[in-house]
Amino acid sequence: MEPLGSKDALIRRIHAALHGHDERAAEPGAGPPGPPGPSAPSAPPASVEKRVAHFSEALRSAAGTVMSGDLYAFLPALGEALRTLGVTALLVPEGDPVARELADALMPLGPFRLASTSELLHGNSPVTAGIQSAEFAIAESGTVVQTGRGGRTLLPGLVTEVHVALVRPDILVDRMEDVLSVLAADPPRTISFITGPSRTGDIEQTLTLGAHGPKTLIAVITQSP
Amino acid sequence: MCEHGEFASLILGGMAPSAPVTASLFFTCLADALYPNVALATATVLERFGVTVRVPLSQTCCGQPAYNSGHRKEARKMAAGFLRAFDGDGYIVTPSGSCAVMVKEMYPVLFRNEPRMLDLACSVGERVFELSQFLVDVLGVTDPLSAFKGKVTLHDSCHLVRGLGVREQPRRLLRAIPGVELVEMEDSDRCCGFGGVFSVKNPHISCAMVEKKIERILATGAQYVTSGDLGCLMNIGGAVSRSGYPVQPIHLAEILAGPPPDEET
Amino acid sequence: MEPKCHNFSRNVEQALANRNLQAAISRTTGRFLEHRNAAVRSFPGDFEAAREAASRLKLATLRDLDIHLSRFIEEAERRGATVHIARDAAEARDIATRIAKDEGIALAVKSKSMATEEIGLNEALEGAGIEVVESDLGEYIIQLAGEPPSHLIAPAVHKTREEVARLFSEKLGETYTEEIPELVAIARRRLREKFLSAGMGISGANFLVAETGSVAIVSNEANARMATTLPRVHMVVASIEKVIPLMSDLPPMLRLLTRSATGQPISSYVSVLTGVRRPGDAEGPSKLHILLVDNGRSAILRGKYREMLKCIRCGACLNICPVYQTIGGHAYGWVYPGPMGSVLSPLLLGLREASALPDASTLCGACADVCPVKIPLPDLLLELRADARAQGHRTPGEVLGMKGFAAIMGRAGILEALERIGGVVCRLLFKDGKIPWLPFILSGWTDRRDFPAPAVRPFRKLWKSKRGVLPWNR
Ligand code: SF4
Repeated sequence: MEPLGSKDALIRRIHAALHGHDERAAEPGAGPPGPPGPSAPSAPPASVEKRVAHFSEALRSAAGTVMSGDLYAFLPALGEALRTLGVTALLVPEGDPVARELADALMPLGPFRLASTSELLHGNSPVTAGIQSAEFAIAESGTVVQTGRGGRTLLPGLVTEVHVALVRPDILVDRMEDVLSVLAADPPRTISFITGPSRTGDIEQTLTLGAHGPKTLIAVITQSP
Repeated sequence: MCEHGEFASLILGGMAPSAPVTASLFFTCLADALYPNVALATATVLERFGVTVRVPLSQTCCGQPAYNSGHRKEARKMAAGFLRAFDGDGYIVTPSGSCAVMVKEMYPVLFRNEPRMLDLACSVGERVFELSQFLVDVLGVTDPLSAFKGKVTLHDSCHLVRGLGVREQPRRLLRAIPGVELVEMEDSDRCCGFGGVFSVKNPHISCAMVEKKIERILATGAQYVTSGDLGCLMNIGGAVSRSGYPVQPIHLAEILAGPPPDEET
Repeated sequence: MEPKCHNFSRNVEQALANRNLQAAISRTTGRFLEHRNAAVRSFPGDFEAAREAASRLKLATLRDLDIHLSRFIEEAERRGATVHIARDAAEARDIATRIAKDEGIALAVKSKSMATEEIGLNEALEGAGIEVVESDLGEYIIQLAGEPPSHLIAPAVHKTREEVARLFSEKLGETYTEEIPELVAIARRRLREKFLSAGMGISGANFLVAETGSVAIVSNEANARMATTLPRVHMVVASIEKVIPLMSDLPPMLRLLTRSATGQPISSYVSVLTGVRRPGDAEGPSKLHILLVDNGRSAILRGKYREMLKCIRCGACLNICPVYQTIGGHAYGWVYPGPMGSVLSPLLLGLREASALPDASTLCGACADVCPVKIPLPDLLLELRADARAQGHRTPGEVLGMKGFAAIMGRAGILEALERIGGVVCRLLFKDGKIPWLPFILSGWTDRRDFPAPAVRPFRKLWKSKRGVLPWNR
């Protein structure tokens, strides 16, 4: 059984180990502020074009796909890509009008239909592309960020075969620090930093995409509104 | 643990000293008992560059075997003997990276609770240099003036390369010898599997490691494999001699000294 | 798992005899290293400075671990987590089992966690009738095979695709295939069912953020995301040294971790998880249990081994270690292999069990050079060897031999006399100057190597006869 007051006991044990006297209980939160974090490479903020370029390059080297420019110009290519991947259903979260708009535009380009979350969570699901507006994107690493803030779901980028992340240039930040500094004050239950598709090298070190999550990640860089 | 004194600044300056140089030869127990020619060659090279070589004959073993297997009391005893033998001034030069590291880096650990011995260990330690390091960094030697001939590959001993940061010095010296063709092996700084007591306590792993090393040595087609540490050469040499591989282990000092006079003709 | 470190030499023999294993390890460690080195070369900024900074951060955090841990506990509980403390492995197993039972769990899915391996969680839960399924592909494979992991990052490196194919067809009844994408697809399908029906997801933690009570987990497969999103209950099992003070400390640590581990600038997924699902959240567990495991760490904090607690389990020291490259992970006999294991296992299990591990290193120093948090692994191995002697874990033969050696080395005169006698005797016995066999504990040396015969005229003697005994040559 877990002894009563085991937390205090642990803290006291550690305190004693560190400072050599056993009796004084540690005072939680009374200590000095934490040490300064390791200095990360910090550069002056980059221009939006630079960020887009960095983001695209980094994501591509993490086996992600990037499409950018005029949406209606590459829409057929996107539809074709999804068809080739065998996608038959699209998952769009509620309350994401941009994703919905894209899904509607894609609909005539393949035999696609809208999937529901519950069918994806209950057995035999169709090959699905989850389309969702990213909350942040990070130029340094080519990372898309999704969180559970405001009742958002993270399933379109998790339980599907293809994850289509919509990235508005104005949500691009330089580094992970820039995202966490916004979220640290009141972190949501889940923050997911997503860089490329799901992958594994666990069998003979052979890189295989789509271990448990999406096999394909397509970042669609849209125009700023 | 040690603060750096004048010897450290000397080496940082990288200037060839103008005054006559005296060096005490720390010949190591391995060279003494098993490879006396290596110690002789070291003295020959030093004298070639005008160094007055002293040989404190009361030196025995730096204590590394004891230290590395956890026998600190015995190691301290040997270390104290070493410090007595080398107390004084002038450089201390050794044909062994790992023995240099023992004195420079491990003695301060051994004597961490004995302030007086710690001071002595630090002052002796900063006078210690491995041969190629001493020649290049302290004496500014660019050409070792050796008549050695042959195709040579260099094994970077762990302690030399990672302990003392000496990687380029032996290469520069070897390249400067007209008769020597230096060929690099793959992963030249990967451990040969000696590790002192390791080779006795874990002989099977040690042998597998030395086989891997020899594979890479043979791939270069070199006639000689050289190194700044006798331990490595004894290990590689032991396997070479048992299996009859076509390569000859030779210490760096012997290459730098060149063939002995009677063989030169 | 039951530690088998005391069987080290037998484990080594088995490893050396296994050709598949040899091939697999050298392939894996080689690739990991290649990728790691490339990632270091393209590091944004000064990699050495980043290592130094990370080392300082970890050390400073350990110095005030009581403060940071209290803060973590307070913040995590404020956000709906229940924090449990386990003093040792047995207590950790009891607490975890009780949690699972209280929550009415029949099936738990796990993402990779060394802490759960350390405490032997799976066996405990299974013993209580709870099904536990590993979801990291490598862990899934070795769970099916009933083996422990052999690498921190790639637990199934020792398995070939044929072995995996056989496992999947025998244990899962799947059609036999050696195609890796198909094998991955089988695992994906099988495990998706588990994710969707499990009542509890169990994860480790790469970092615990004190400031917010958050748990940070890296993964590439997305199994950690699944396990911490879909089931109703989330249990985190983490050892106490995982704490970092601030959210802003996380990115620089991650930059080092993933580059050192696999060479990726960042893993495919990083999850930062804080508390339980909030009202209005679309998904996420409604219960979060965080089990903090001490298991000997507060004792390590005290002294000369504190730096070992800086370890972020990147596995770089394994990949670069020529001993690990030769014998693989299982030979180390417990959950932590390679140089970090050779230090950590004796610290956690005691030297009686694991005194062979600190000896299983040539002290070549390659591990300390790659360690992203600059743990002086060879120095710690040397300290452990000294402790082993002090605690009596040395054979009487070795101790006696060392005493004799030190006594001989105490007097140059005795040494010289012995050298000369030895030289003469050996020349008589071994005419070609090679000794093909050595006695007793030294015999292993000459199994596949010769030993040089001592010189008849040692250097000491040569020099004296050449130069005479000069005043400084006393
Ligand atoms: S000791 Fe260093 S290199 Fe080894 S796993 Fe830990 S952090 Fe990585």
